[in-house]
Amino acid sequence: MKKVLSLFLAVLMLTGVLALVSCGSGGAVDLTVGAVYIGSQTEPAGYTYAHANGIKKAIEALKKEGYNVKLLVRDNVPEEDAAVTEAIDALAGQGCELIFGISFGYLNAFSSAAEKPEYKDIVFSHATGYLSNETNFNNYFGRIYQARYLSGIAAGLKAKANGVKGQDNKYHIGYVSAYGTEYAETCSGINAFTLGVQAILGDEALVHVKTINTWGDPQKEKQAAEALINTYGCVVIGQHCDSAQPQIAAQNAGVFGCGYNSDMTESAKDAHLVAPIWNWDVYYKLAMKTVITDRTAFMEDVGNYYGGLKEGFVDISPVSKNCTSDTQDKVDAVRELIISGEWDVFSNVKLSFDADGKVVRTESALVTNEGKTVISADNSSYYVLNDAGEPVAVEGGASAVDSIIKGSMNYFVAGIEVEND
Amino acid sequence: MADAFAIELKNIKKSFGAVAANRNINLSLRQGEILALLGENGSGKTTLMNMLSGIYRPDGGEIFVNGERVDIASPEDAKRLGIGMVHQHYRLVEVFSAADNIWLGRNCPKYPFREKLKSVCAEKKGWRRLTAGGKVLVCGAGAAFSERLLRKKRYQEVEKICSAFGFSIDPAKKVYNMAVSEKQTLEIVKVLYYGARIIILDEPTAVLTVQETEKLFEVLRRMKAEGHSIIIITHKLNEVLAISDRVAVLRKGEYVGTVETAEANEQMLTDLMVGHRVDLNIERPVVEKKKPLLEIRNLTVRNDEGVRAIDDVSFYIRGGEILGVAGIAGCGQRELCEAIAGLRKIESGEMVHKGENIVGLMPREIIEKGISMSFIPEDRLGMGLAPSLSITDNMLLKTYKTGSRPFSPFVDRRRGRAEAARIIEELGVVTPSTETPVRRLSGGNVQKVLVGREIQSGPNVIVTAYPVRGLDIHSSYAIYDILNRQKESGVGILFVGEDLDVMLALCDKIMVLCHGRVMGIVHASKTSKEELGLMMTGTLNLVRDDADAGKKTGIARDTNIREDDVR
Amino acid sequence: MKTMKRFHIVRREGVSLRRKCLYYVIAIFSALLLGALLLLTCGVNPLDYYAKVFTIGLSTARFPAKQVENFLNALVPLVLTSLALSVAYKMRFWNVGGEGQFLIGATAAAAIPLGLGSVGGTVPTLLLMAAAAMLASALWGGITAFFKVKFGTNETLLTLMLNYVALYFVSFLGETKGKWNFFLRTDSDRPIFASVFDTVAMPALRIGDFSLSLALPLTVLICVFLWFYLKKTKQGYEIAVIGDSPGTARYAGMKTGWIVVRTMLLSSALVGLAGFFKLMTSGSLSASITDNVGWTGVVVAWLSKLEPLGIVATSVLICVLRFGCSQASVNVSAVDSRFSDILQGVILFAVLAADFLLRFKIAKKEEAC
Repeated sequence: MKKVLSLFLAVLMLTGVLALVSCGSGGAVDLTVGAVYIGSQTEPAGYTYAHANGIKKAIEALKKEGYNVKLLVRDNVPEEDAAVTEAIDALAGQGCELIFGISFGYLNAFSSAAEKPEYKDIVFSHATGYLSNETNFNNYFGRIYQARYLSGIAAGLKAKANGVKGQDNKYHIGYVSAYGTEYAETCSGINAFTLGVQAILGDEALVHVKTINTWGDPQKEKQAAEALINTYGCVVIGQHCDSAQPQIAAQNAGVFGCGYNSDMTESAKDAHLVAPIWNWDVYYKLAMKTVITDRTAFMEDVGNYYGGLKEGFVDISPVSKNCTSDTQDKVDAVRELIISGEWDVFSNVKLSFDADGKVVRTESALVTNEGKTVISADNSSYYVLNDAGEPVAVEGGASAVDSIIKGSMNYFVAGIEVEND
Repeated sequence: MADAFAIELKNIKKSFGAVAANRNINLSLRQGEILALLGENGSGKTTLMNMLSGIYRPDGGEIFVNGERVDIASPEDAKRLGIGMVHQHYRLVEVFSAADNIWLGRNCPKYPFREKLKSVCAEKKGWRRLTAGGKVLVCGAGAAFSERLLRKKRYQEVEKICSAFGFSIDPAKKVYNMAVSEKQTLEIVKVLYYGARIIILDEPTAVLTVQETEKLFEVLRRMKAEGHSIIIITHKLNEVLAISDRVAVLRKGEYVGTVETAEANEQMLTDLMVGHRVDLNIERPVVEKKKPLLEIRNLTVRNDEGVRAIDDVSFYIRGGEILGVAGIAGCGQRELCEAIAGLRKIESGEMVHKGENIVGLMPREIIEKGISMSFIPEDRLGMGLAPSLSITDNMLLKTYKTGSRPFSPFVDRRRGRAEAARIIEELGVVTPSTETPVRRLSGGNVQKVLVGREIQSGPNVIVTAYPVRGLDIHSSYAIYDILNRQKESGVGILFVGEDLDVMLALCDKIMVLCHGRVMGIVHASKTSKEELGLMMTGTLNLVRDDADAGKKTGIARDTNIREDDVR
Repeated sequence: MKTMKRFHIVRREGVSLRRKCLYYVIAIFSALLLGALLLLTCGVNPLDYYAKVFTIGLSTARFPAKQVENFLNALVPLVLTSLALSVAYKMRFWNVGGEGQFLIGATAAAAIPLGLGSVGGTVPTLLLMAAAAMLASALWGGITAFFKVKFGTNETLLTLMLNYVALYFVSFLGETKGKWNFFLRTDSDRPIFASVFDTVAMPALRIGDFSLSLALPLTVLICVFLWFYLKKTKQGYEIAVIGDSPGTARYAGMKTGWIVVRTMLLSSALVGLAGFFKLMTSGSLSASITDNVGWTGVVVAWLSKLEPLGIVATSVLICVLRFGCSQASVNVSAVDSRFSDILQGVILFAVLAADFLLRFKIAKKEEAC
């Protein structure tokens, strides 16, 4: 017994000595930021990685500007209100002044935390949600559909250059999507991509959509892509899911594809064209800097953030060597139109290119694949579909308003075919 | 020494915790003799034998086998030394056939191909070595596999051994289909198959019928004639005198002495064993008989396999009498007991208790009517007791609900404790406290607790099966005494027993069952062991329908009660 | 002849309580030591880390009351679930369906305020919720017992499979928008569970900043009740007898079938109650609302030998580890909050080893051979 005890003491002392050796570094802190992650902060890729990386980049950028930001993280927090609340309490308890939550399911917990009087000095910022308040709670997301439109142009150009048509004399393009019309995020992405493809191919394009009913499952993603290629003869595969499997499947089948989230050219160097990507650091830097300079102005200066190409919050990855030679010019032309605010994707104006590569604008109604008009050609009426699938008029501006794109869009535009198993 | 002892033990010691199971045991077994090891329950016989078979290791002392000092660290060691043990609880794989159970313990070379491969590699060179090696590997693996495969040959081998010793055993029969005596035979065959020259049998006759015992003894004698040395552990003095050459006696972990059987008698052995005289005469008090308490009419019950285990059985028990039930093992005793206790579905027939039919009542209702059933199964535990619970809790088993506090939601443990204390006191149960789990008690004490509880519940009918199974003489007499006191107080007792001598002395009447049928009910004072034996084997059937009166003959009547009282 | 050392295993009896405690403490301590080495290799100061873990992060917290509240909120469902499971285990009924029963309980409780709104004030609504949770869970678990008694099905398999049925049922509710689905928020275009806090909240006793949820004293009461139930009542006695020897129970005239069903109803009803309590701290339903207590509860119940007091102690230890580790990991980027899973596993093994050493001893012997 004594031997065992003395052994314990020895090891304990050893740990003590080692503990003294490793000591943390200090420095005045301008801001303590908390982050609640759905996955592990040590993940090498994926959704949590994208945000963690964005926050790190933003902190580094601020450091160059002379601001010292300390980051505290709670990771592996499930979408469960008690767990999220507990994570928020822990971060707030450690002195965080700004807390980010990256997953949609954190919505309830973030919104109720922001209402608590003891947290009135803390800014809560929730990604992909739709709730906010006047003083210390916002939501942030981006116009990824704009980038998807651009990737659609690249896809259309490649399909045309490729020249392979189906028996119906149409270019077949595939799209692996996490979900379909049940989420406006996926729905608007599919529509934007399709409209981009149609800018090049017009009526000759048919986009086949396959949903996998999960945000990420490499096996299912791969199978869906293979089905699109083998069954429907798709020559370009777009995607809205986490892994690079659809691109790898495209490469293996000798066709092409547009990735998502990161430049997937690394994974499929002979197949990948361009990928719509997020620059989360753009928002994180803005949010942190605003809190450092004037916290009270957060809701005025930042507010509910919905950044797009203009802010650099979304973009496409560099045009790869697999793209046609005119891709860069045509993408740039449309990008300019969007950034300048002259035109946006969901409107009564369709883009196309003339023989010289100039952008041609044509007024035309936005029609669903069931033949129902959602934006009339004269730009007078805007609709969403109700539960019965009938168009219901909503208020809108020159093009579909953000609330539709973010929230209520529940239709596919003409030229899309949903493929069920 | 030309003729060394087969086994010689010197100053063997063994303790379990604070309890010394064996203290300085000296024992010798001559070549080719049958040595009976005699001792009361808990005297350390089994512990001692387990040390010989490598299950326990002695704390001190020396073991010599054939004159050489040995260290038996495992059953493997024992096997190598030619010592085989047949345990009281059989160590068989139920779902295996007889032959496979024997095959199980075979030693087959673990890596035959590895050895061969080595030798090939040593001989050949380069490519040839590789191909030759590959061939050996494939063949070797095949051989090793087939070595492990069960081949038809095993059945013949097992059969050969069996016939050599006069065993009749079907090598392909699965163990779960075997009767107890068959399992025992299988254990013995197993031991012989591995070439044991010294064979230890732990209470082999506890579960056998008279006929089976006699058959076993014949086998033992033949083994002895072939030069095997045998140690047999038993309680039954008549068997000791019948089979052994010498008798070694243990008492409370100590070695008392060894006597030549030829010079011994029952009285002397009992004295050696228990240390004090035990009255061998079981008393049979005469009680004025009362009306029948429980009458069974044309009862038919099926066993778990759906076979008729009790077939058209009729009898009655009066207050103040003990009705013995004799029969070879498995001829329906268990099913009869379970039927009376309401634990088994009744196919047809009536059970009338105090003029009320109790067929179809729940077990609880039958208990409440004052019918107590205690059945000591062959493994002694399992029915009637909850082994992990304390003696106190076991006392309350049948009465916790309706006993002293019928409407309270709480268990009356104070009453349980008092009852436990009383039983410990009256029956001399050896236990540290009333709160000791029953499984920690030794076999005899467990049974005392069970029987004691049944009697304390104040029943008017006691059905008790094998209440003295595995008990030493002293405890057995204590139990007979308890039953007689109950009888005197007017309780009707159904005594399912195995020892005919005891039944002849204790019971008023004896009913003999054979394959579920009644062979006759006889007055114990008017019958003989021979008659009972003939009835048990079915050779003699006293029951005959008397066509004239619609009555049966061969059923003993009580002269002082008229026929009308029965109905 | 040479002397040889041989080891063999000898059964131990009658180990003193002091020795038992000592062994368990040493086991836990050595597990922590192993964890410390692991932390060191990750470049984390184990002393700091453990200090945070065992003070559940209170030392540096700005809102210590909240920490304690959250800790208790995590503890209550674990204690209650473990207790509930142990009732079935006493009977040797292997209820591994804690997760499913918990989910069903929480779902049934949520259905009351979300489907019916406030039913005549807070207290009636809460009572109705608790009743719905217990009833639904009891039925969910009772099915298994019924099938076992009636058809001899294997309860382990059945409860295990029903876990997944419940899990996918809740996932389905959470992912399917529709007019009928009153569990979801109506203002969201994406499906997300609505919060019951808009309708009811658990009464709490405020002590300064700290608010003590009613769930805690209720759980303590249930714990005491179960202790009495198992040790003192006739029903508890029946459970013990059936657990020990079903044949004996039948022989003693117990209606074993009914007792098995009754006990399982109680066990799963209590798990359902734990689900209700958890819902009242979460506010909204989710597939991960169980926080794995259905699984952890199995471990807790066995580690504490099915003793109610031991269950409370073990739950506290495991909860401190889990809660503390997630607090400690906030400042540490090298180790994520799942470090507690590793620690928990190591502790489990160490305690099992201690258990073995308490029941057996390894004796050494030198002998000639």
